[in-house]
Amino acid sequence: MAEGLPELDPVIHGKLRLAILSLLLARDEADFTWLRKKAGATDGNLSVQMVKLEEAGYVAMEKRFVGRKPQTIYRMTAKGREALAKYVDALKSLLGEAL
Amino acid sequence: MMNPESGDEASRMELVQRIRLMESMVEEGRLYTAQCGWIFVLWGIVGLVAVGWQYLQPDSRWVGMWGWPVCLLAGAVLTGIGRAFQKRESPCGGGTRSRSVEAVWGMMGVALAIYISSAMVRHLGWQYSFTAAILIMVGMAHAISAAILRWRVQGLVAGIWWAGAVATFFARSQWDVELVLLLEMGLGMALFGLYAMMMERRSCGEVNKNG
Repeated sequence: MAEGLPELDPVIHGKLRLAILSLLLARDEADFTWLRKKAGATDGNLSVQMVKLEEAGYVAMEKRFVGRKPQTIYRMTAKGREALAKYVDALKSLLGEAL
Repeated sequence: MMNPESGDEASRMELVQRIRLMESMVEEGRLYTAQCGWIFVLWGIVGLVAVGWQYLQPDSRWVGMWGWPVCLLAGAVLTGIGRAFQKRESPCGGGTRSRSVEAVWGMMGVALAIYISSAMVRHLGWQYSFTAAILIMVGMAHAISAAILRWRVQGLVAGIWWAGAVATFFARSQWDVELVLLLEMGLGMALFGLYAMMMERRSCGEVNKNG
């Protein structure tokens, strides 16, 4: 491990979790079905990763009804945005000139 | 916490992949996903039917009075039903860009409704300048939407609408105006809508392929 290099947040570094946070970065909110479709994930895998992101405080979940249809909405929290910004900075430092 | 060694080529490649993944996902998130192509096709058809109706029965007072309002009302109702159905089938919170584009078109619709109904009440509709103002408003909505979405094709469509507005001022008869309207409805609405639907289908295909 090289000295002085920044560390990458393992919660964000997972491919699917990184994809989810990047998708949420561009939107105010997104529902589970849309995230699953865009990230190309299965129901089960996406649920597991969303729980991990929620536990880290990076996303907030809200359940609501559209008509009689239940809908699960996710938003990125301020903590999530901050963590993603730090992650990008760390990536830039690690890659340096390659970017 | 992780700390890949800087000299490890595999780690470097993996990090580059992460950057690319982020870029593609952020772009996906920003895409206007409202699937709106069908609305342009619908309004193109509405306009073509209204112009055609007027052409087939030019002397009918009833058509002259109500042909366009009936078609426009039918278009508004069908759009409302379609959008409600779409939102129910695919409920998904939109981003700022999606909401901006929806707001532009929604408010343009309200402005046109006020403008057309007021003119109809006063029997001042379908004069050259009246038609030109409508073409300018629709062109403006296309132009704003194109600027928000950075979509050159829609910018070109805005130009077509504005060119039609200018052409209307040089019209020699009502039929010249109708011809301009036919071209705008066919080219600037229906054909553009078909193109937008094609792009949306391609975009969905790519998402499914990547998934």
